[in-house]
Amino acid sequence: MILKLAYKNILGNGWRSLINVIILSIVLTGMIWMQGLYDGWGRIARRQMIAWQFGSGHYEQVNYDKYDSFTLDKSNAALSPEMEKQVADGKAVPILYSAGVIYPQGRMTPVVIKGIPTQQSILAIPTEYLKIADKSAPVIPVIIGKQMAKSTRLSEGDQFTMRWKDIYGVFNAYDVVIAKVMNTPVPTTDVAQVWMDYDKLNEVKALNNSATLIVLKDKPVNSDLGSDWRYLSTDDSMAGTDAMISAKRVGGYVIFTLLLFLAMVAIFDTQILSIFKRRKEIGTLIALGLTKRQIIRLFTLEGTLYMLLGTVFTGIFGMPLFLYFGIKGYSMPVDVSSYNIAGMSDSIKCYYSPIMIISTFLIVMLVTVFASWLPTARIARMKATDALLGKV
Amino acid sequence: MSKILIETKHMTKYYPTGEGKFTALQDINLSFEKGEFAGLVGPSGSGKTTLLNIIGSLDTQSEGEVIVLGKEVSTLSARQSAALRSKHIGFIFQTYNLLPVYNVYENVELPLLLLKMSTEERKKAVMEALEWVGLTDKLKSRPNQLSGGQGQRVSIARAMVKKPQIVLADEPTANLDTENSLHILDTMLKINRETGTTFVFSTHDQKVVNYLNRVITLVDGKKAKDDLKVSV
Ligand SMILES: Nc1ncnc2c1ncn2[C@@H]1O[C@H](COP(=O)(O)OP(=O)(O)OP(=O)(O)O)[C@@H](O)[C@H]1O
Ligand SMILES: [Mg+2]
Repeated sequence: MILKLAYKNILGNGWRSLINVIILSIVLTGMIWMQGLYDGWGRIARRQMIAWQFGSGHYEQVNYDKYDSFTLDKSNAALSPEMEKQVADGKAVPILYSAGVIYPQGRMTPVVIKGIPTQQSILAIPTEYLKIADKSAPVIPVIIGKQMAKSTRLSEGDQFTMRWKDIYGVFNAYDVVIAKVMNTPVPTTDVAQVWMDYDKLNEVKALNNSATLIVLKDKPVNSDLGSDWRYLSTDDSMAGTDAMISAKRVGGYVIFTLLLFLAMVAIFDTQILSIFKRRKEIGTLIALGLTKRQIIRLFTLEGTLYMLLGTVFTGIFGMPLFLYFGIKGYSMPVDVSSYNIAGMSDSIKCYYSPIMIISTFLIVMLVTVFASWLPTARIARMKATDALLGKV
Repeated sequence: MSKILIETKHMTKYYPTGEGKFTALQDINLSFEKGEFAGLVGPSGSGKTTLLNIIGSLDTQSEGEVIVLGKEVSTLSARQSAALRSKHIGFIFQTYNLLPVYNVYENVELPLLLLKMSTEERKKAVMEALEWVGLTDKLKSRPNQLSGGQGQRVSIARAMVKKPQIVLADEPTANLDTENSLHILDTMLKINRETGTTFVFSTHDQKVVNYLNRVITLVDGKKAKDDLKVSV
């Protein structure tokens, strides 16, 4: 009944109520959409990094430090016989890193050379292009990514010289040919990377079946591989990417915090006006035997109803939008600062988790209740006799 | 002697003003019994509304005692005084004060919602109250679709629906023409006779005075006269 009164009063407020409801549903829709987008981005980035770079978990040789390229040439260890077996069974794929320099058309570009077995099927890298058909051929086939091809202005079939040091510090140079420019969505498998055959890289580095990374097909039961190796789960590998996406998310939050604030002000203002216009009604309700507390509850409820209506509006008008971006996806406008984050190349399908939706509603709800309740302090201060006379 | 419902003893009401205080009511000694149809008259500013508000526990006296239904109203908590009003006191206002978003039925039903009655009981009481005032054909009308007389009749029904012991009516006819004034006075008198509800009016209106069986005259916050009349 009191709900009915609140509901009717809201209708009685006309366009003001409509504006509040619309603002609230814009805030709700926007917040859910934006968070869905970033959550979707996180998910696709994770999927891509699992597919292209890290599998279901991977080992790093303990000397390897991805932030320090000088560690590269010390960062390798021989595979144990058990690991060799796993590799043979297709459960793991070793990758050997080496520092290198390429000279396309004489321009010098430092790169990381990555050796990967050609017959692997764990990562999406098209390693079959790396097969060296003729062992005596002087030119080694390599794969680079699209971005790398663009920045070095190289394309399939181009030949150039690549140089690296073997483990004794002796410089070695080979001619390589681009067998494939691959379309990898993961920048860390693309930018400044040259992929070649694992065995060949071992051979020319004077190593034997040694790797920097071992990528696993499945999560290991026991991740301990001895002191040479450090295990990183998918979550560990994703930490950096997740952090970068979160940083981008903050920008979105700022906008919606402002919008939420606007909604709060609108509701607050409506409440102030409504309390002022209805002071005589407040006096009447007191005379009828309502306590001030009940009247405050009534007014707070009224404000909170905006949230309810806003939710309904969001359901009706936001749903098509949510579905569209959830199914069709959204191509992020690529800005330079996002180049190094996975997921950017695909259209991102928004992902709406129940927790995200519920927490968004709770936050907006809380703000609405607060904005509705705050002005009722005026009611608490009102004198019944003054209110009846229309005085405040 | 019949039961005393309202009693004031040496009751005084001050309002603070810029410097010092303004005495709106001074040393008022009054009592109202069950079934009275009494009125406060007097010039504007003489304290009629103030007195009704204090009796209705919407306001409190500054000095003296005000006992309503056996309770000193100034000692009631906010919740207790709300309960006193919701159960035992009906208000009728000069401007009707109906809730604009509610229809007639809902306006009359509202006081009952505070009394934890079943839907059935409520419906019965609302219809009965609307029968008293002759508005059973306007259940779904909004206050703004009613004439002044009809509006005031709805507000009488709202005051009566909970069968209160006391009805306080502050200038109920001030906004009505003669015909409507007489109509609502007839209605209230009939209710008074049938239910024994005590009515206390405040009024300037001679038509109202004619209906009263007791007229209390206030002048400058003091009781000037208290005349019992033979009932009409
Ligand atoms: N809240 C207040 N603050 C200060 N003075 C007040 C207040 N309320 C009423 N008064 C004063 O108290 C006196 C009595 O007021 P009250 O409203 O009771 O008069 P009334 O007899 O009902 O007059 P009317 O016939 O015009 O309705 C008036 O002089 C009024 O100015
Ligand atoms: Mg008055």
